[in-house]
This record gives sequence, structure tokens and C-alpha cells, in this order.
Amino acid sequence: MSTIEIRDLTKKFGTFVAVKDANLSVAAGETVCLLGPSGCGKTTTLRTIAGLERATAGDVVIAGRRVNHLPPEKRDIAMVFQFYALYPALSVGRNIAMPLHREAIGSAEVAARVRKVADILHLRDILDRLPGQISEGEKQRAAVARAIVRDPKCFLFDEPLSRLDVELRHSMRGQIKAVLSNLTKATVIVTHDQLEALTMADRIAIMRDGLIEQVGSPHEVFAKPANVFVASFIGTPQMNLIDAQFKGYGNGKAKVVFDEQDVDLSVHPAVANLKTGRVTVGIRPRAFSVVSEDTRDTIDAMAELIEPMGAETLIHARTKTGSDIRVVVPRDKRVKIGEALHLVPDPAQTHVFADDGKAVRA
Amino acid sequence: MTDRVSFWEWIGFRSVGGIAEAGWGRTLVVAVVSFIYFLPVLFIIFTAIKPQGLALSVPPTLSPTSFFGLIPDQFVFTPTLDNFASVFSRVMTAGGQPESTGFDRFFFNSIVIASASVLLALVIGTLAAYGFSRYPLKGNDTYLFVILTTRMLPAIVVIIPVILMFRAVGLSGSYLGIIMLYAAFNLAFTVWMMKSFFDELSTDVEDAARIDGSSEIKVFFKICLPQVVAGLAATFVFGLILTWNEFLFALLLTGPDTRTVPVAMNQAVSSGGRGTDWTLLAAIETLFLVPVFLATFFLQDHLLRGVTFGTVRK
Amino acid sequence: MQLMSTIRSAKTAPALLELSADNWRLAVLVGLVVSALAVVTLPASGSFWVVGAMSALVAAAFAVNAYRRRYYGGLLVAPAIAVLFVMNIFPLLWSLGLSFFAYQSNLQSIRFVGLNNYIKVLTDEVAAPGNWSALINTAMFAVCTVSAQMIVGFLLAMLFAKQFPLRKYLLILVLTPMMLSVVASGVFFTYYYDPTFGILSYVINSVAGGQFIVMDSKAGAVAGIVFADAWMWSPFVMLLVLAGLVSVPKYLYEAAAIDRVSAWRRFWSITFPYIRGLLMLALLFRTIEAFKLADLVIVLTKGGNDTMTISYHLIRIANEQNKTSEGAAISYIILFIVIVLTNLYLYVANPKNREA
Repeated sequence: MSTIEIRDLTKKFGTFVAVKDANLSVAAGETVCLLGPSGCGKTTTLRTIAGLERATAGDVVIAGRRVNHLPPEKRDIAMVFQFYALYPALSVGRNIAMPLHREAIGSAEVAARVRKVADILHLRDILDRLPGQISEGEKQRAAVARAIVRDPKCFLFDEPLSRLDVELRHSMRGQIKAVLSNLTKATVIVTHDQLEALTMADRIAIMRDGLIEQVGSPHEVFAKPANVFVASFIGTPQMNLIDAQFKGYGNGKAKVVFDEQDVDLSVHPAVANLKTGRVTVGIRPRAFSVVSEDTRDTIDAMAELIEPMGAETLIHARTKTGSDIRVVVPRDKRVKIGEALHLVPDPAQTHVFADDGKAVRA
Repeated sequence: MTDRVSFWEWIGFRSVGGIAEAGWGRTLVVAVVSFIYFLPVLFIIFTAIKPQGLALSVPPTLSPTSFFGLIPDQFVFTPTLDNFASVFSRVMTAGGQPESTGFDRFFFNSIVIASASVLLALVIGTLAAYGFSRYPLKGNDTYLFVILTTRMLPAIVVIIPVILMFRAVGLSGSYLGIIMLYAAFNLAFTVWMMKSFFDELSTDVEDAARIDGSSEIKVFFKICLPQVVAGLAATFVFGLILTWNEFLFALLLTGPDTRTVPVAMNQAVSSGGRGTDWTLLAAIETLFLVPVFLATFFLQDHLLRGVTFGTVRK
Repeated sequence: MQLMSTIRSAKTAPALLELSADNWRLAVLVGLVVSALAVVTLPASGSFWVVGAMSALVAAAFAVNAYRRRYYGGLLVAPAIAVLFVMNIFPLLWSLGLSFFAYQSNLQSIRFVGLNNYIKVLTDEVAAPGNWSALINTAMFAVCTVSAQMIVGFLLAMLFAKQFPLRKYLLILVLTPMMLSVVASGVFFTYYYDPTFGILSYVINSVAGGQFIVMDSKAGAVAGIVFADAWMWSPFVMLLVLAGLVSVPKYLYEAAAIDRVSAWRRFWSITFPYIRGLLMLALLFRTIEAFKLADLVIVLTKGGNDTMTISYHLIRIANEQNKTSEGAAISYIILFIVIVLTNLYLYVANPKNREA
């Protein structure tokens, strides 16, 4: 079976801990994205899986076999590098053929396989060109072609789309996803772009400072962020994270105080078990409905800045004491600068995070 | 479960696909090779501290210490510093008083000629490099290629006219002549190397300074030059290595007053064979090696760039 | 750059015959004519001053022209061109001229002989055999020492290509031979090779018995010179190759590891393209230097045992025997060979660049 598993993986460079006690398993045919800001250890994790770095502690298991001691060439993997790493002196065709040389197949078979992947990735016309003579998008496709020309145990992608412009990125995302869905291999993609992760991954592992913060499906990490970091990292515009005082729970609602407002919020029942004190309330900008009256259920703020985003409008609203609240409303909802807004959050999209940053959810 | 390390991996040829830094295994292997390569030099240095009488002993004496019994006693000698003193002053005639050998002058000549010619090439070459980099002329590449070609010319081709020319103008045996000649030979790589440094600078700052009303001269001295100090240092060292040991032109073009160490060294030992004063020669060479060795050591990082005429960048 | 071109004044160039300080074309014309006349009519020492003055005139015209039209590039480059002109190009042209005359520096007579010098050095019954054998010896030395340097230098570079502890200190050990004076290292090689008290013969003597004389035969003498020369200059090749090796991006080797590329294929597909140009450069530099090989021969054999090289031969002919114009003819033959080799190298080094 083509699977990847890492167990308690730790990688140190000198005294710097790049990855700490990471655990992750990728099933056959599954695509997992390692997502996080730069310097979070996601690329190091990928390189350790590939064997380009050696684990300081913990195990890397590929297809059920512990491979810690094996160099990359014995791990039977394919990888697409951030800078594509096409061999500059070889034509695109010969680049794609490189991984095939180790396999005991004739040159006719090699040529046939190169042609096959070249067709899949629309590289047929540029097989004779050198990497220096083709566009970024073509380089990217050539790098993917080189990875899928062979039948390895798993695929690794290191920021595969980061060097493409927005439009190309969009179409390549679809192409890569289409190619991967036809292969039943465990795939790990490293990216810092959440849209890329959300669209391409079956599951997402969100990393920060060498720690895996949460692993879950795109839906899970969006709808049920495990902690404040994940909540803030996933979703655009960013989730509103409001520091508040938790006063108590009753009638399915949490009584919280922030910015001198008393608000009753419909939240997850598990909040009832929380001690009173400091909490963080997270509400997605799209989770507000704007009502006409100020009640105990509403958060009150004044529209300060309005950014039309096409189908929707982003409003930066400010509470009395100056907290910024981002609200996204449909385009047809007209709001004027200076207008008072009374906002009722959707209970399903209102998250309470305890003092330690963890989500309170049973 | 211990991770097995193969021999090849241990000496850094296979460590994770030939990628990671090699470790102490490689150091050991390279140290052995380097030491063997360095042996003839080491022998010269050891000869410099050998008592004069032991220079031609059979079996040859090899080392000032036995290296903890590693070297048999018959190959060991007692080190002395007398040879270095006799480089500058020694008894020349039987029973006479120690007299000056003139080597202080020759060392002075070598230092003056090498540094003056390298500096001259540096000044002229840096100006030219700046010109080529900032104000490309029509046919820029052709000029640059011609300049490079002058380095590639076998010096022997110009030697006859240069000798005649120097004799005719009275430059033969003067500092100026040999300095000019060496400067010309150093110009080629100075221009190429400095151009590569200037090419790397962003011109934005310079343009900003020009818009603020700085003169071209000020732009060059205040903005560009400070940014290429490393390049100047590297070029200086590389020129020094090329000039320091030059023998042929120095032999033919220097006079008694401007004689450089390599020429004087040749004359000091020119009797050759058994008549050669080995310990003296070794002492001269050891002293002569020190400046260029130190310069190379401290500017080693820039050496790769110099050797490729600035075509390979870090 | 753009800034410069906008403020560059649009003065027109003077007409060819207009008498003006910035009329460089006129200066070149006058300079050439006067120099040619002087070379033909005056003795060497006289024509030297005339040609020198003409060069100064041309240079001055160029400088004034560049300054008036704000060709700062030209002004900046001018001193370098001037030095190269005086020290390299002018002597080169002069010796070209000289090679068509019968001239000996210790005599005052000079007389135009056309190609006779060339014919003489290549075919004369007395002079030619020495020239030819020196030339052939030089070619043989060049082939032997350059190939030895390339191989040793390349292997050394492979050793130092990676980062490892103390690398800096070990590298300087290997570089030291390059910094030695040829005189000292040459003389010490005579010591190592010496049959009576040399180390080499001592070692061989104690292992195999019997006296070992390296420099006694031609083969031995050549081997001795080649060994010393290659030992001194392999580090130079190493530096060049090393510069190429360290410029290979690390990620290419990583990709090769992932792609399970064999070490052999990795070298030829990835590493070699990065060092090919530099290997060619090293080959070119060292071959040209090999044509200059004289000092080591002077020290080690003094040309004995049929080890005379063309450079040493030339020095003897021109400087010791005062056959100046014959020497000039020989040096032009050398220059011709070097130019042919250079172009050959350039052609081999970048056939792809030419197409692109």
C-alpha cells in the first residue's frame, strides 16, 4: 500500500527545533497539505519524509516500512521542488525521462512513457527545449511530469505553485488535482496558500513553529478550528478574534463582556463547563446578520471603512472602545460610512477559545 | 536500530544522495591527500630550519621532531634559525667578516614592484571596469575580449620588443618599466573581475544620487567604490600571486638596483647541483612565501572569483 | 544610464580633414602614416620615439573627443587601453614589423627581407632543426603537463567540492605550490631528483637497490619537468573547477537523489555542464602557459637531454645570440599557434551558445 506515516518526528538544526513531535499519516490515494506561515517547519517535514534531511528523532514510515536510514533514492518517492529543479543542461524530454533510467526498461518504453505524461500535461510541443527556454508554467508542468512519469510509492510537492501568477495558479491547481485523483498514491503538498490547501487537499495539517496544530479535512479546519491560531490562519477575510470576559452560561447562551458591551452569544453547549474569566470569541466575517435593533444578542459597532469585493462587501466596523470587527455582507446590502451596525453572529460559526487558546467544543 | 553508515557515506561521497555536508570522515581523507601534496613545500620549510651541514646528509634528514617516535632518529635534525639571519648577512669570502647580501634590498624591490604594479592595475582597471559596466561602448564585448586576450598572449611574444623598447627609452633596469609591464599584464583580469562586481550593484542608488545633483566623480567615489571593497581586495591578492613570483621578465628587465627576490634567488644558487646552498635557498623561499601565503589565506573566499575572471558568482 | 544619455550633448563629429583637437580620425591617419614612414626610414631607436609620440597624439585626440562629447565611458576606459597599447599591443605590432626585417639588436644595420625570417626559422638547414625540435618538445610538454594538471586538478576539486570541517585550512595547503617561486621549487626538485643525495633516489635505493637517476634520459628529464610543473599548477586548475562545482545549485542534486539518478549519470547530466566551460578555460590558460614553459627547464635541465622548449630557445636566440628578428618571427609563429588553439577551444567550448 502506498502510505506515508510520520511518528513523533523531530528535526533539529543545531539548537533550533524546526519540527517537534510531528505525527501524521497519509492513506493511499489521499492528499494531505502541510499548511502554515513561512518558517513553520512544513518544508523541513517534507524534506525529512523525502530523506533529504535526516530525522533527529522519530520515524518516517513509507508503505509500511521504516525508512529513516534510507537515502532518498531508496525511498521510492517522487517530488516536485519549489524551484522545479529541472536539470538545466537537459531538454524537457530528457528531464522527464531521468527517473526512468533506474528502471530496467528499454528506450522505446522510456520514450513511450515520456510521451504519455507529456500528453497529460500538454508538454508535447516543448519536449526538445531546454528548461531555460520555457515559461514558468511550462517548467512547473515539466516538473510534475517528471514526478508522475514513474510509479513511486508516494508524491511530495514543495510549494508547487508559489512561482506562478494568479491565473496560472488557478488552472494548475485544477490540473494537478485531476492528475493526482487518477493516481492512488499518498501525496503530501507543502503550501503557504490556504486556498491551494483548501482546494487540493483531502486533509490539511496546519503547522506553526514546528508543531502540527490541527489535522483535518478542509471543512473541519474551517468550521471547527482547534485553536486560535488555526482560526486566524484559515479563512479570508480573517476570522474576528475578540478578547472577552466570560461571565456565565444560561439558556444556551454565553454571557460575555467585551469593550464594555454585554452580549449574550449562542454558542456550543460545552462552553457551559468553562470557568469564568478571559476567553477569545471567534466569529467569521460572513457569519453576521445585520439587524435593525440593538438588543442583548447584538454586537454594536460603527461602519468605518467599506471595501467592495465584487459579490460581497467587506465592512471594517469599530466598536465604541475601538476594536476592529470585519463584517462581510452581500453586495445588495448598502451600508454607509458612519452607520451604526447591530450584528447578530450565527451560532454555528461562533467559536469560543479558552484562555489557553484551545477551542471549547466538548 | 542503529542507522548504518557506509564507508563512502562516511567520507562524504554518499551522504544522503551526495547532498548534505560531509563530516570529519571527509576531513581525514582530504587531510591525508593535502598533506602529501604539501610535502615538498614542507620539506623546503624544514630545510630552512636545518643546520647547514645537514643539508646533503645521506640518509636525508626529514623533520625537526620525531613526532612522538613516528620518525626514526636518523631522520631527525635539531632546528635552527641561523639560515634566516644569513639570508641578509653572512660571511661571503673565506675568513672574512659577515657582510650584507643585499637581500633586504631585493625583498624591498619585490614588495615595491609587486604592490605598485598591482595597485596601478587596480586604479586603471577599476576605472575601466566602471566605464565598461556603466557606459557600455559600441562593441563593448569586443573591447572586453581584446583586453582578455592580452592576458592570454604568451608573454614571450612581446618580450623582444619590450626589451628593445626598454633599452631604447632607458626603462631597462628601472622600477617604472617593470611596474608598467606588470600592471599591463594584471590589467586584463582586474578589468574583468571588477566589472563583474560593478555589474552586480544596483544602479538605483547611483541614479538617485545623480538626480540629487551629485557629480559623476562623487557618485563613483562615494557610492560605487565603497560597495566593491571586497572585490578590490580579492583582485589585489590575485594580482599579487601572479606578480610576486614572476621570473622571466624580472630576469631580463631588472637591473642590479631593482632586482626582485626570484631573480636574486636564482643568482644566489645559480652554481646549482652540489654547490647549491640549500638551507639558504630554503630560508629565502620560506620568507618569500609568507606574505603571499597570508594574503591568500585571509582573502581565500574571493579567490574562486578571481580565478574565473569574475565569471562565476557566489 | 538613461539619465546620462539625456544630458549627453549632441555635438557633431568634426569632418575628416578639419584641424581640431578632437578629430581622432585625422590623428589616427596621421599617426599611422608617420609611424610607417619612421619604421621604414629610421633606425629602431629613432622610430620608437616617433611611434611613441604618434601614439600619444592619437590617445590625446581620443581623450579630448571623449570629454567634449561626454563619452565618460571612453574616458574611463582610456587609461587602461593606453597601458595595454603601450605594453602589449604596440610591442606586438613592432615585433610583427621586426619579423620582416633583418635586424640584430647588437648591430645597427636593418634591412627589409620580407618573409625570409619565417622561411629561415622553419626551413634553414642550420637554424630550423633546433626550432622544430624545441617546438615539438613544447607541444609534448604541453600535452603531458596540461593533461596531468587537468586530471590532478579535477580530482582535487572533487575532494574539496563539499563543505567539511577544516576545509579552509586544508585548501590553503594544496594551494601553496602555486605560490612558490619557480626558481625555488625548481631547484628543490633537482634536489629531490638528485641521484646521490635526493630523497627519491634514497627511497628507491632502499626499496629496490641500486642508484636511481631520474634526469639521465630524455624520458626521465621530461617526466621530471612535467611532474614539477603539474605539481605547481594543478591547484590553479583545481580552483577553476572548484568554482564550477560550487556553483551547481544544491537542489539539482536533491532532485537527482529523488529521481534515483546514478552517480555516473548525475555527474555527466548535472555537474559536468556546470564545469565544462571552466574546464575549457583551464585547458586554454594552462596550454598557453605551457607554451611559456621556460623557467623550470632553465632550472632543472638547462635544456639538456633534448628538453629545450620554444620559449627558452627563443630567449636564447633573441637575448643571448641577439638574433632579434629571427626571434620575432618565432614568436609570431607561437602566437599564430596560440590563436589557432584559442579559437579551437572557443569553438569546442560553446557550440551551443553560437546557435542560441
